[in-house]
Amino acid sequence: MRSIRVFLLVALLSTITLINFLAALHGYRESMAAAQELFDRQLAATAQLVGKLPLERARGELADRGDIALQIWAEDGRSLLRSANTPEEPLARLEAGYREVNFGGYRWRVYTYFSPPVGRWIQVAERSDLRYRLAEKVVLESVLPTLIALPVAALLIWLVVGRGLSSLRDLAEALRSKRAEDLEPLELTGPPEELLPVVQSTNALLARLRASFERERRFSADAAHELRTPISSIQVHLYNLEQELEGAGWKDGNGALARLRGSIRRMAHLVEQMLVLFRTNPEHYPARFEQLDLHQVAREVIAECYQDISAKQQSIELQGERAMVEGDHFAVTLLMNNLLNNASKYTPEGGAIVMTTGVSEAGPFIQVEDSGPGIAPAEREKIFARFYRVGGDRHQHRVEGSGLGLSIVEHIAQLHRASLELGESRFASGLKVGVVFPKGHGESQGGVRD
Amino acid sequence: MLLNTVIIILREVLEAALLISILLAMSRLLRLTPHWVSVSVIVGAAGAVFVGTQLGDISQLLDGVGQEVFDASLQLLICTLMLWIAVLLTRSFYLGAGSGRGLPQLMAVTVALAIIREGSEIYLYLSAFVVQADLLPGVLTGTLLGAGIGFSVGALFYYLLLGLPCRYTLGVACGLLALVAAGMSLQATQLLIQADWLPAQAPLWNSGDVLPEASVAGQLLYALLGYEASPSPVEVTVYLLSVLLMLGVLFLARQRARSREVGERQTDAAPMV
Repeated sequence: MRSIRVFLLVALLSTITLINFLAALHGYRESMAAAQELFDRQLAATAQLVGKLPLERARGELADRGDIALQIWAEDGRSLLRSANTPEEPLARLEAGYREVNFGGYRWRVYTYFSPPVGRWIQVAERSDLRYRLAEKVVLESVLPTLIALPVAALLIWLVVGRGLSSLRDLAEALRSKRAEDLEPLELTGPPEELLPVVQSTNALLARLRASFERERRFSADAAHELRTPISSIQVHLYNLEQELEGAGWKDGNGALARLRGSIRRMAHLVEQMLVLFRTNPEHYPARFEQLDLHQVAREVIAECYQDISAKQQSIELQGERAMVEGDHFAVTLLMNNLLNNASKYTPEGGAIVMTTGVSEAGPFIQVEDSGPGIAPAEREKIFARFYRVGGDRHQHRVEGSGLGLSIVEHIAQLHRASLELGESRFASGLKVGVVFPKGHGESQGGVRD
Repeated sequence: MLLNTVIIILREVLEAALLISILLAMSRLLRLTPHWVSVSVIVGAAGAVFVGTQLGDISQLLDGVGQEVFDASLQLLICTLMLWIAVLLTRSFYLGAGSGRGLPQLMAVTVALAIIREGSEIYLYLSAFVVQADLLPGVLTGTLLGAGIGFSVGALFYYLLLGLPCRYTLGVACGLLALVAAGMSLQATQLLIQADWLPAQAPLWNSGDVLPEASVAGQLLYALLGYEASPSPVEVTVYLLSVLLMLGVLFLARQRARSREVGERQTDAAPMV
């Protein structure tokens, strides 16, 4: 069933039509039979009236009236009087009663009556087709309202069903207009008892979902926060150990301490990224939207990361023009930071990175291109998954990372209703990541080109 | 005039409405887009008017029996298409929509032909009364009553089929298609008897007193089962052969589809080597 309203309209209207029309047909049949009976009685009354008239000297032929015929016969079978439209022989056998006969090119209903006082046979006839048409004309007047009422009934059913379904429509609208992060219970004013279980179940589900999100939020935040302290402590202890060993003249010949330091740094980075990932979750990120120039933010992010990039002898270039968006400054900075760090991480020493901002037909955008190895099209969809790393842990470039950077980018993009696009960079090899923000009132172009 | 009109219009509308409701319900069950219905109704209505205007010339063909032979041929063609549709429906039901390729187009052609067949009769009947102004109100009222009853039965029948549990819908729909098709082949036989292409014989029985053909119930059974109050031996034979042929072909199609379905399941479940 595609629409309850259409189903109810068609099913109810079909039922009403079927029952009403069958009733109308039955009524028509009965009314026609009653009308014929009435006409028969009228015919009999006419014959009896003629029988009582003083027609002793009446002989010959009456003028043709067209729709009625008359014959008077003596008891011995002699013709006494007849209308001009009748044949010379009797219209029917001279026996009392009704008969259907044909003459003069029409079918007639004949009533034969014997009048004892005058000893004559009276035959009065009416054209059947005229009787039938007259009866039908009268009866149709009673059938027609049934037909005319049908469109009115259809309109009323449509309106009444629409009114009856309004609560369902309200519920659908309440659910549709709910934001993804809004887990507050539904508030419908006076839902009908048929909908009450649906509203109650939905609210119970929302409450369970809210509790579940809260548990997850607390766990992620607490776990990440609780891990920070021991990691800082381990870092301090490692530093002290290095100092003591150095004082004792011990040399880290096989690099065990350096590897330990690297591992602790990676763990600290992972915990920080987990915290950021949780904080940027669109479901509970307290965004403060303001007018931002993507070009300006990109410039700040490049300045912040420049030292790390130049340490790898990579070139960085900012191109494009001013692109205004409604955005959260911290989140957009984080997004660009992650994109730039990701590009730098996967681009070999001496490689090139280009950031571009601008406004396309789809909306304001920021785009980061690198000359790294790039990502095969089949893998592009997977890179936004948490902890996913291209090539797995045995990445051929031995790049350190938590696999959370692009998940954070995706969160921030969702927060701004922006779309992510992956493609091939302008270089011989490499990845292009684009973030296209929705068109809004904040967008405008400038002419600044770096 | 009204009663005669109701019977004639009901007979024609009911047959087309039942066919459309069965095919539309199956279309919904197999998740096929129902656009074919509107196309076939428009094409069928236009074709009905065209054929209706040409029936005078058609009836002059083949020594004056052109109309009977034309109508009988159309009925037999529709029966064949219905058989084909039933086989494709069975295959689609068991093996997925992909195995019933061309089904919507086939349904559209069948319904369009059925509307041409029934619609041309209605056009011929109504066009005879357009010039008789005094009879027109009765004829128009009868047309509306007959069409209203026919379409209502069709709509309720459609929802009845959709309301059946899915596992029964195919069986019921194919069974009904077999009966409607057999009814149509019976009508084709009657037309060929009228044209003297088949021998006229004494009726085997007469159930007109129990259930007159001209009653609403008689017309419903006429459209659904091809009810004939006084059938001749050749009509009964053709009817039974049509039903048996339809059911036999459907049974074979079902067996083949089910064995293929089982085969495909086993292939899917087989371990990878």
